[in-house]
Amino acid sequence: MATTAASTIAAAPAAAVDHRPWWRSRATLVGVVIAAMVVCHLTMSRTQTWPGSLTWHSLTQYLDNIQNWLSAESDKANPNIVYRVIHGISNALDALVRWLYHLLSSWLRWPATTLLGGLLAWRFGGRRAGAIMVASFASFAALGLWDESMQTLALMLVAVALSLLAGVPLGIWMGRSERFERLITPVLDAAQIIPAFAYLMPVVIFFSVGPAAAVITTMIYSVPPAVRITALGIRSVPANSVEAANALGATPRQVLWKVQLPLARRLLLLSVNQTILFALSMVVIAGLINTEGGLGAPVTNGLNSNPALAILAGAAIVVMAIGLDRVTEAIALRTDPTQRRLDRTDGQREQLLTVAALGVVAGACVLGHVFSAGSAWSRWTAQDWLLARVQSVLDYVQKPSTFLFRDITNPLGNFLVAHLLQPLDTFLAQTPWFVTLVALTAIAFILSGIRPAATTAAMFALIGVVGEWQDAMDTFSQVLVATAIAVILGIVLGVLAAESAWVSRVTRPVNDVLQTLPQLVYVIPFVYVFPISYVPGLIASVLYAFPVVVRLVERGVRDVAPPAVEAAESFGATRLQLLLKVKIPLARDAIMLGINQGIIMVLAVVVIAGLVGSGALGYAVAAGLQRGEFGIGVVASIAILAMGIALDRVTRGNRNAGKGGHT
Amino acid sequence: MRGKRLYGAVGLLAAAAAIGVLVVASTATARTKAGCGTVTLNEQAWTGSTANTYVAKYVLEHYLGCSVKVTDIAEIPVYQAMAQGKVDAVLEDWQHVAQYKQFAQKQHSVVLEGSNGLTGHIGWFIPRYLLKKYPEFKTWQGLKGHEKVFSSPEAPDGMFLGGDPSYEQKDTQLIQALGLNLKHVTVGAETAEVARISQLIAQKKPVILYWWTPEFHNATFDLVEVKLPPRFKGCQDDGTVKAPLKDFRCAYSSYPLEKVFSSKFVKSGSPAVAVLKRFKWPSNSDQNTVSEWIAGDHMDPQKAAEKYVKSHMSVVNKWLGK
Repeated sequence: MATTAASTIAAAPAAAVDHRPWWRSRATLVGVVIAAMVVCHLTMSRTQTWPGSLTWHSLTQYLDNIQNWLSAESDKANPNIVYRVIHGISNALDALVRWLYHLLSSWLRWPATTLLGGLLAWRFGGRRAGAIMVASFASFAALGLWDESMQTLALMLVAVALSLLAGVPLGIWMGRSERFERLITPVLDAAQIIPAFAYLMPVVIFFSVGPAAAVITTMIYSVPPAVRITALGIRSVPANSVEAANALGATPRQVLWKVQLPLARRLLLLSVNQTILFALSMVVIAGLINTEGGLGAPVTNGLNSNPALAILAGAAIVVMAIGLDRVTEAIALRTDPTQRRLDRTDGQREQLLTVAALGVVAGACVLGHVFSAGSAWSRWTAQDWLLARVQSVLDYVQKPSTFLFRDITNPLGNFLVAHLLQPLDTFLAQTPWFVTLVALTAIAFILSGIRPAATTAAMFALIGVVGEWQDAMDTFSQVLVATAIAVILGIVLGVLAAESAWVSRVTRPVNDVLQTLPQLVYVIPFVYVFPISYVPGLIASVLYAFPVVVRLVERGVRDVAPPAVEAAESFGATRLQLLLKVKIPLARDAIMLGINQGIIMVLAVVVIAGLVGSGALGYAVAAGLQRGEFGIGVVASIAILAMGIALDRVTRGNRNAGKGGHT
Repeated sequence: MRGKRLYGAVGLLAAAAAIGVLVVASTATARTKAGCGTVTLNEQAWTGSTANTYVAKYVLEHYLGCSVKVTDIAEIPVYQAMAQGKVDAVLEDWQHVAQYKQFAQKQHSVVLEGSNGLTGHIGWFIPRYLLKKYPEFKTWQGLKGHEKVFSSPEAPDGMFLGGDPSYEQKDTQLIQALGLNLKHVTVGAETAEVARISQLIAQKKPVILYWWTPEFHNATFDLVEVKLPPRFKGCQDDGTVKAPLKDFRCAYSSYPLEKVFSSKFVKSGSPAVAVLKRFKWPSNSDQNTVSEWIAGDHMDPQKAAEKYVKSHMSVVNKWLGK
């Protein structure tokens, strides 16, 4: 399976230019290395795992001590200046989120809140946006989760706004400065890969429990995509446009505002979209340290006592994500300067509309208070009806005598485990550690050159030193399989979506759902259907990772400069030739970012996978939080991060090498 | 002139109104202080804890007039929350010894209030139907040589299903110390474990697993405990502790499930403190009953609590000190 992963990584650029004979091609060389590994695996002793003398045993204890010290410092009567500043920020964020929640729930109350949302969306985003907004609020009411939804909405509005406020400027800077890019990339990797479970406790120590801690936890995860995609947008602006502007004597600021940002508009929009979706995918985890858990609470508790309710709460999270995303998109498109043709009467009409809308909201607010409408919609809901429907599906899923289980999923799961996952895990775990280390380094070298190879060697050595070699090999085998499936699926669907508006219309909402529906909600039914430890985790990883690949690949292939396409068309290229020889090679940056994000997303689900039976590192991280073994959780997270950085540099090194090759 | 006087009059009126509001507000807060005020209870992520929390909530609200807020903070961060007084009490804690040391003994920011009436017990369990064919599975010695019975795709030689990452366990060491040829397979969180076992039990397949009581599924699963070697002095239960293998060669201990309060709450003088101190289930089966209503019958936790309280007034009166 390692070959599949490796050859996918190699296959994308292979389409571009490869003059080497077949026996020196990357795929062959990787194959040779793996064959050598197999020989060593078969001939050498199976018990040579990472030696204890090369392990830093006291690291976990040391980390535990740090945490205890931080905690004791934080709770002192007179904490030092650092804590006082942080406590100040924390109180301000708490107050902001709570104020927003009170505004939505007890001041405006449900009729005015719905109207305000709907009319705001209508005024700035058009009729369709308004309708989407009202429909979202109506679904919260129908699901019987109004109050929880308002708590989460208040939290998410703050978290998304702050993420964009921080992420877009950083992304612009990253897009314009190579040095800053080198500096910030490891930070972004760490923020996206280190599982939130590992840093919940430190966040709580600094920010206490409550909305502030939830906002911070969410932001750690939702700022990086905003930065990365914004930077990609700035960089993807054609160099000749920037040069033309420079030649006309534009200042750097003018170049940014008049050339780069407008031309990067579509990717900026994608970064807003991804920030919203990433933020909403944190609702459940952030709920674990929030006194007002919002929609996270019914998910966490529902999993044990009422799974159907957990699924409804998950649905509310998805509705909120899609609603916010579509409305921001509509607003952005409407305010697009290239599409904006307003004459004076239009302007006056809009002003009138604003005033009227505010009047209606104020009226609704007053009427709501006079007729004492509750802060939450509580009269009629479809909750019981929906719970019964969902429960009947769950009941079907949980019966082992059904056709689905007996004839499809159970044999398929057994096959996957027995013939793919188990052998790969045994292979990686039982090959002597130095053979694995050398082989992985060699593969990194073949695929992307000397520096990524050095990084790979250092990272896997680090995994050994922190004492996680065995668990890491187990996790690594699962990550390879999941990434291979996610990347293949993502590239195929992404290219199809770029080529066909019809596919795009179908994949987009599916992607939105998969990125925001809490994995725990849908992965438990998979445990019933595939009751084999690794498989549900594998499915969760693939389902979470491939949408990002689809999105980035689709955007990349679509945004290929039209002149190149037109030129190829005039030479009489067929559609397939156009795709394989022009569009995909030219979209390579976006495709590589897609693969890279796909890997990161798979690693982000390692903990969830650990919670449904994948064991190894993910399980250790979960145990770290849940048993208060801070050190164990951090050490396992370091191993996950090291693995992520190695995989990332190998895929990225490739991109840089390719760039040098043919430009 | 006139304008100024008018402003003055308005200012005075406003000031008077403000003072009036302040007075009303302060009497209002004074009144709640004399009463019970708000009590924040944390519900942990298992059904037994939901049962505790909502039964206590019902009692505090209906017999003391408190308003009870329920939070859903994770097991370990909740200690920090209690230390800061943001959460008042946790009514069921499964021996987080490191946290007891840090927060109760060192920082004195939480107080251990003793048992909630339940005894937690961990052990190795098998479904009862398995005993018919293999009566020797009653003790661990009987497992020897029959490990293949527990074969599964991930462990062809025999699988041992490990527990939720949040629970104390030493099964890897114990299996090794007993010389059994079982592979320890982690099945993940409690929910995932329940899913997996219920599938296996529904198919009447053999399985051996890490499990515990009280757990309301026990009634439907019908599990039997496998007898492990007796406990001895210095016997270890925590697999993360570094100790020689022989120290793990014993059954798990049983321990009371603790109530943990915030020190700020204990000092607050709220009448809820005394009642929660006396809060105690008469037996494991009482909590299981309520859990079964909530998770088995999907009854609303508030209604389940009401049903329990109304049918167990003598228990509740003891809590209330009557």
